[in-house]
Amino acid sequence: MSVSAHPFRRYMRNHVTRTTTCPGCGNGIITQAILRAIDELGLDMDDFIFVSGIGCSAWIPSPLFAADTLHTTHGRPIAFATGIKLCLPEKNILVASGDGDLAAIGGNHLIHAARRNIDMTVVLVNNGIYGMTGGQTAPTTPRGLTTITSPHGTLEHTFDICAMVAAAGASYVTRWTTYHPRQMTRSIKKAIVKKGFALVEAISQCPVQFGRAAKLGKAVDMLKHFKENSIRIDKARNLDEEALKGKIVVGEFVDIEKAELASEWARLKQEVMEV
Amino acid sequence: MGRGKKIMTGTHFMMGNLACAEGAIAAGCEFVSGYPITPASEVVNRLAKRLPEVGGIFLQTEDEIAAICSAIGASWAGQKALTATSGPGISLMQENIGFAVATETPLVIVDVQRLGPSTGAPSVGLAGDMVQVARGSHGDYQIVALCPESPQEMFDLTVRAFHLAEKYRVPVFLLADAFVGHMREQVIIPEEKQLEIESRKIPKGGNDPMDRQDFLSVDVAPMPVFGRGFKAHVTSSCHDEHGMRNLSDPEVMHRYISRPIDKILNHRDDIIQVEADYSGASIVLVSYGTVGRSARAAAHLAQAQGLRTGNVRLITCWPFPDREIRQVAESVDFIVVLENNRGQLYPYIKAEAAHACRIELLGPETLGQIHDPEYILARIREMIK
Amino acid sequence: MSKITIFRQACKGVEDCGICIFVCPKQVLIGSDEMNEVGYLPPQVKDESLCTGCQNCMISCPDFSIVVEKDASKPAAERGEEDG
Repeated sequence: MSVSAHPFRRYMRNHVTRTTTCPGCGNGIITQAILRAIDELGLDMDDFIFVSGIGCSAWIPSPLFAADTLHTTHGRPIAFATGIKLCLPEKNILVASGDGDLAAIGGNHLIHAARRNIDMTVVLVNNGIYGMTGGQTAPTTPRGLTTITSPHGTLEHTFDICAMVAAAGASYVTRWTTYHPRQMTRSIKKAIVKKGFALVEAISQCPVQFGRAAKLGKAVDMLKHFKENSIRIDKARNLDEEALKGKIVVGEFVDIEKAELASEWARLKQEVMEV
Repeated sequence: MGRGKKIMTGTHFMMGNLACAEGAIAAGCEFVSGYPITPASEVVNRLAKRLPEVGGIFLQTEDEIAAICSAIGASWAGQKALTATSGPGISLMQENIGFAVATETPLVIVDVQRLGPSTGAPSVGLAGDMVQVARGSHGDYQIVALCPESPQEMFDLTVRAFHLAEKYRVPVFLLADAFVGHMREQVIIPEEKQLEIESRKIPKGGNDPMDRQDFLSVDVAPMPVFGRGFKAHVTSSCHDEHGMRNLSDPEVMHRYISRPIDKILNHRDDIIQVEADYSGASIVLVSYGTVGRSARAAAHLAQAQGLRTGNVRLITCWPFPDREIRQVAESVDFIVVLENNRGQLYPYIKAEAAHACRIELLGPETLGQIHDPEYILARIREMIK
Repeated sequence: MSKITIFRQACKGVEDCGICIFVCPKQVLIGSDEMNEVGYLPPQVKDESLCTGCQNCMISCPDFSIVVEKDASKPAAERGEEDG
């Protein structure tokens, strides 16, 4: 007997019957990793508030997820999510958005949310390019790559988002590619459970824009590239810069326990009101 | 010291910015976010201390953009929220003021205006944001903005700003300036039962927005706040009554723009407050905010010298009190618009008045300084010569 | 035997996607030239008996178009579930 619907349809709004992404886009793999993590944790969609910004990956939760979803302005989902978390501390806040949204225009909010160590899960989809607007250079674009706005190759260095968020003070920092959906799911589960700021950087394929710019080919060619060029953090630690050139270091970079902002506020209010 | 008193009922000698902070707490505000800026800082300084005492939260953000975004987030999380800043902060907030408009988010934004353009002169008042608060975000919309003339009104109008924000599900500006923000005067804080406190309506139930009307009602749709199983879909992109994005249907686009505008304009009689005292007058001084104090003094001086002079003070500047101005214009000979700028509301006032009477703009002798009533009178005498 | 269900109408086609075929360790899935209602070419099952129930195709499908029901009688190791 075959199933009549995908089991995760129960997490989706009834009237939304299709994902909004291009064929072969990595966003769908990440979407499923998020839902699988929620499913495996035995949580309900009403335990979450989903927040996203502007760009292709901001469409991961909205309108698909049957939950409270807030689709914000460009770059600001973490700032909106901060206000939501402080007022609904018992809820899980999950931000899903892209590298341009969270690390370029919204970079300041990413830094300060990590510094505050406010409890939220940020799934940052990094496709290395501005996909929705037609393939412009992003801070995450590999140096030298030719894009629409860097026709002679980008002169700028590539942003290491995980290193930045780790330095800013996050509780949990991890990176996987869409070739690693199982590991990504496990990391999203840890990120949700983690009491603190948790970043899951998901390196993803944009076959339409990045694949064309980097001459990497179609979705499966890009996944093959992720497969062949990913290197675990424990192995990468022993390699020099030259050996790591062009490699994607994956794994867990930070996994610590430290004071978290929303809980600290609960404690403070208790103290001040009881004095 | 025990749990802080929510409402500081009594008579105080208080700075305007602090009266504003007390007004927020009295209105039930429990989330405030802000970034330090002169001359608005005292509002958040006070709230940083007061809010935890009454169970609230103050978040000092990394910039004004984060301040308004987190306040909007808090509002969707079900709290009454406020952010306070000055002109440069408003400039940074503009995009997300539009977000609050488009998502029909109740929110109070305090703008203690300072002299500009740009970094200007931080602790000097100038009514430089009169138009930017109403027209500064892109797209077409209406806003509600209230202009206090005294520390007492910094309290009263902050309470009223929350009342209107919650009643109509809109962002509301308290549009003060450095003079009234830093002014110290008697402030009477009434008892709680004398305050008009409103809380937003929320839906009766349902876990599918497709079965509800969450947005675009001119009679104010109940707000499906987060965390209660409403599964609300909130986007500032063009959306229908259910909150679902629609970027293809021109009819939906028309409603997405028009309904929030009509929601405010249809209730303009409830929102607009104008202080009018011009019976028998042939000259009327039209002003708002701090300048209203000078206008009143100037009118008294003029009356003492036999000039039949009246006063009209716009307490609500937005939505623009067009009918009220027209009514004045049609019963007097001459309107003098007093503004501490080079004429920000003047074109709007002129548009409603020029058909019926003479109208002139009169700024202070030195921009950024309070109008001297003697100067106003002298200039009026020149004008009517 | 594991059971593979393909929701053809949700699929965006093996021409530009085809991730399911790529991640299958046993070449269970192949392309087809039968369009769905929006014009994409969903994959078809070549030989379901080869399926180990690893669910790689299901987990990696960006469009929630594949469900693999595991053969519960086989232990996980035998199903070949592994990290990439």
